[in-house]
Amino acid sequence: MAYPSQLGLQDATSPIMEELMNFHDHTLMIVFLISSLVLYIITLMLTTKLTHTSTMDAQEVETIWTILPAVILILIALPSLRILYMMDEINNPIITVKTMGHQWYWSYEYTDYEDLCFDSYMIPTNDLKPGDLRLLEVDNRMVLPMELPIRMLISSEDVLHSWAVPSLGLKTDAIPGRLNQATISSNRPGLFYGQCSEICGSNHSFMPIVLEMVPMKCFETWSVSMI
Amino acid sequence: MAAAREPHEPEKKSFKLLGILDVENIPCARESILYGSLGSVVAGLGHFLVTSRIRRSCDVGVGGFMLVTLGCWFHCRYNFAKQRIQERIAREGIKNKILYESTHLDPERKTASSNSS
Repeated sequence: MAYPSQLGLQDATSPIMEELMNFHDHTLMIVFLISSLVLYIITLMLTTKLTHTSTMDAQEVETIWTILPAVILILIALPSLRILYMMDEINNPIITVKTMGHQWYWSYEYTDYEDLCFDSYMIPTNDLKPGDLRLLEVDNRMVLPMELPIRMLISSEDVLHSWAVPSLGLKTDAIPGRLNQATISSNRPGLFYGQCSEICGSNHSFMPIVLEMVPMKCFETWSVSMI
Repeated sequence: MAAAREPHEPEKKSFKLLGILDVENIPCARESILYGSLGSVVAGLGHFLVTSRIRRSCDVGVGGFMLVTLGCWFHCRYNFAKQRIQERIAREGIKNKILYESTHLDPERKTASSNSS
């Protein structure tokens, strides 16, 4: 989950998020160098006494500042496209889970084998136990097996919502009348938090998502207990 | 990127160059910036010693910083990516070895039988 005053990305939990973090570092370094260059040029502009009142053309610098940005954009676009296509690779998910957005809670359906459906409401601040996270805890977490690909089908019953879990690198819009697909694959067990990411009314900030990734045995025990 | 802190530990803000580049936590960032700075000083100073032109030497210094930083960055990240792939292969290999030892899926048994045939 996020910690106070956080500016960077959360720790990666899936291979896709690791790739996204690497891409972010790569792009950030390019942005840092461009910013340094611009800062230096601004300093030069402010400290020079030279004026060129008869400049008609500047072919060399015009060529440089056309070619160089094109090269930089290619350097950014190639890894970006690679990750984009990597996200859509076929990976044979073991189960499919449906999540529906409502005003203002999420409902989850595990209907591959039995009919397991439940709602996930935020726990109000007054009902939190000591150590619980404000505005992030829910009454029923979504429990999934770790280290296995899982297909998520995301939609909505009323208005636009967005199902997001930053540490897995997931953010998918929940659109009424449309099924959007995402794939979850977690490297490690644990609790992973997210929040609704599309404005959906007065309680838009109060419909969090909590994923509990557990070993397969624990997942089987949990699903039996829920039916 | 920080783990949860104990209550008695003081809050430690990570240092960010120009407010954006977290050199402490991004792999290869610190080395690239340090080598870039060294390259910048060497290039700028060398140019000045040869030509005695201050402004142009500063420009050469900045250009050297950018080129050396980028070069070190790509070199280090490429090796870092290769190392991560090797770590993942080793981790999978250890897991498979433990899981499948003495079964017909044992990777060592398959390698031994292909060597003998």
